[in-house]
Amino acid sequence: MTRVRLGRGGWVNSIGAPVVRIGAAAMLCAALALSGCASKQPATGAETGAGAGAPGLGEEGAGKSSLQQFQQGTLSPGTGGPLTDIHFDYDEFTIRAQDGEILRTDARWLEQHAANRVQVEGHCDERGSEEYNIALGAKRAQAAKEYLITLGVAGDRVSTISYGKELPLCTEHEESCWAQNRRAHFVVSK
Amino acid sequence: MRLKLISAAAAVVLILACAGFARAQIKMEIVGPGSKLSALAISPLHNLGGDDEHTVSSEFVDILSRDLRLSGYFRIIDPHSYIEDAQASGFQLGQFNFADWSPLNAEFLIKGGLTINGAAISLEAYLFDVAQQRQDTGKRFHGDRRDVPRMARRFADAILEAMTGRRGPFDSKLAFASTRDGRFKEIYTMSLDGQDLFKVTNNPTINIFPSFGGDGRDLLYTSYKSGAPALYLADLVKQRESRVRSSLGQLIGGALTPDGERIVAAVERDGATNLYLLDRSGEMISPLTQGRSINVSPAISADGQKLAFTSDRSGGPQIYLMSLNGGPAKRLTYQGDYNSNPAFSPIGGDLLAYQSRNHGIFDIYTISLSGGAPVNLTKGAMSSQHPCWSPDGRYIIFSGGREGRVKLYLMMVESGKIISALSEEDSNDTSPAWSWWLGQ
Repeated sequence: MTRVRLGRGGWVNSIGAPVVRIGAAAMLCAALALSGCASKQPATGAETGAGAGAPGLGEEGAGKSSLQQFQQGTLSPGTGGPLTDIHFDYDEFTIRAQDGEILRTDARWLEQHAANRVQVEGHCDERGSEEYNIALGAKRAQAAKEYLITLGVAGDRVSTISYGKELPLCTEHEESCWAQNRRAHFVVSK
Repeated sequence: MRLKLISAAAAVVLILACAGFARAQIKMEIVGPGSKLSALAISPLHNLGGDDEHTVSSEFVDILSRDLRLSGYFRIIDPHSYIEDAQASGFQLGQFNFADWSPLNAEFLIKGGLTINGAAISLEAYLFDVAQQRQDTGKRFHGDRRDVPRMARRFADAILEAMTGRRGPFDSKLAFASTRDGRFKEIYTMSLDGQDLFKVTNNPTINIFPSFGGDGRDLLYTSYKSGAPALYLADLVKQRESRVRSSLGQLIGGALTPDGERIVAAVERDGATNLYLLDRSGEMISPLTQGRSINVSPAISADGQKLAFTSDRSGGPQIYLMSLNGGPAKRLTYQGDYNSNPAFSPIGGDLLAYQSRNHGIFDIYTISLSGGAPVNLTKGAMSSQHPCWSPDGRYIIFSGGREGRVKLYLMMVESGKIISALSEEDSNDTSPAWSWWLGQ
């Protein structure tokens, strides 16, 4: 992929590729057409960098973001490092009483590991519209962050991101599954 | 089979080398109750020189047939039953015999001719009323071979204009998000008839919420390709894009004004999501909403004056209306506890489509901006979301079905009739956007 720096603005990237579907009868024809084209470009990868903005990894106590786990096909409950997920009621972003204890444990860990930072991910179940759910996930992540701050964690150690309903842990269309997906997940980095 | 070409140059070669082998890409599936369709015969084009294999004629007729079937006004009479030899008869009034068509019970007939001279193509086509033995409309087109699909779409648009007084919507583009190529949502564009599929994004993250500005050249979408949600503005003609950068917060979604010059963006900061008017580079022009609540899914009216959006300021998600120049927002929906994804009709300016939840599934509704009762168009047929209007205001495309197995559907607004699915099985196409008519 070509990257061209233009003017005062941001990066200007080339995009896209036509997708041509053809009948089986055209296979030979397609092969001939392709063989005449030398400047084939790589299909994927060049535009990635999904991990680039996410927390750095590899250190003791470090975890991968849910997006990185999804990319690697390893997104599943409880694979997020030393801190424990909390969960939310439907269309709610208030911290539930039973999750306060989890957050106190999470805050203690952060207190004992002052060099670590944490990104709080907000997630939602599949119901409702995608854009509303990204905003709702942001409220959940923010609620968890504010709770940690109240418990004494410095605000500049905690960042937030919402994935809305885009990265479910469970894809059945039922409440037991939805309840797992309505979560705040904590990704620790150095 | 499916073949993806990476290089645009290779694709052009392929299209040119293989025109005539191209297969229908969309499944025609009439899923709604049928009102009476007019019987239409579409004759092959008369070759006036240069189309000896009839490949250009076939391409034109195929696309025209698909579009007119999708229009919901016509059924196409099987060409195998045609009596007349198109190459042995003329295509203008008086040069052929209507008696060759009335035995097929054809109410309408399309005939035409074409000349190919090197790369240049001249094509003319006519619509006749068989019973009245009358010409209803005719069009001449000049261009090169790559323009043939657009000639067919423009003629389909002209036919609808002749029949209904309103130009048809086929010379336009759709954009949508899909997992058709794997696990990751990518943005695609295509023509309504399923041709010209173009993969705009190619990154293994999350790419969502495509929306067009103006004539289908500018496409705005949200992507997590840098790790966090951000807005990108793509020029589909130059095939270049830039990131919309803002210091206001994370840009999670947005809509372009019809002139393509400004963006209404949903900006998340510290858990609150508010709407801002930005220029194309992301510089703020004005704040539109304020507070701690959720304000998302902006939609802008065709005249660029009004803004509709989804907000939970009253509790659950409801549709609100305000001026793009600012001022207070007025709540528009009161029925149902989950109303979202508004879209303005491009004609008349007084009708808004949105999705509303009933008994756990969404239906597509319309509501008048001046008040009045909401009208349920989809009536529980399936969970139906993301309404977007055709440029002529005659159709809505929405995404319907269960999460993970969603298809795009074409619906006629006036009747609520679902004309056809536009997606193949398991393509999981969501979040459709429909451009205005394409530019020259």
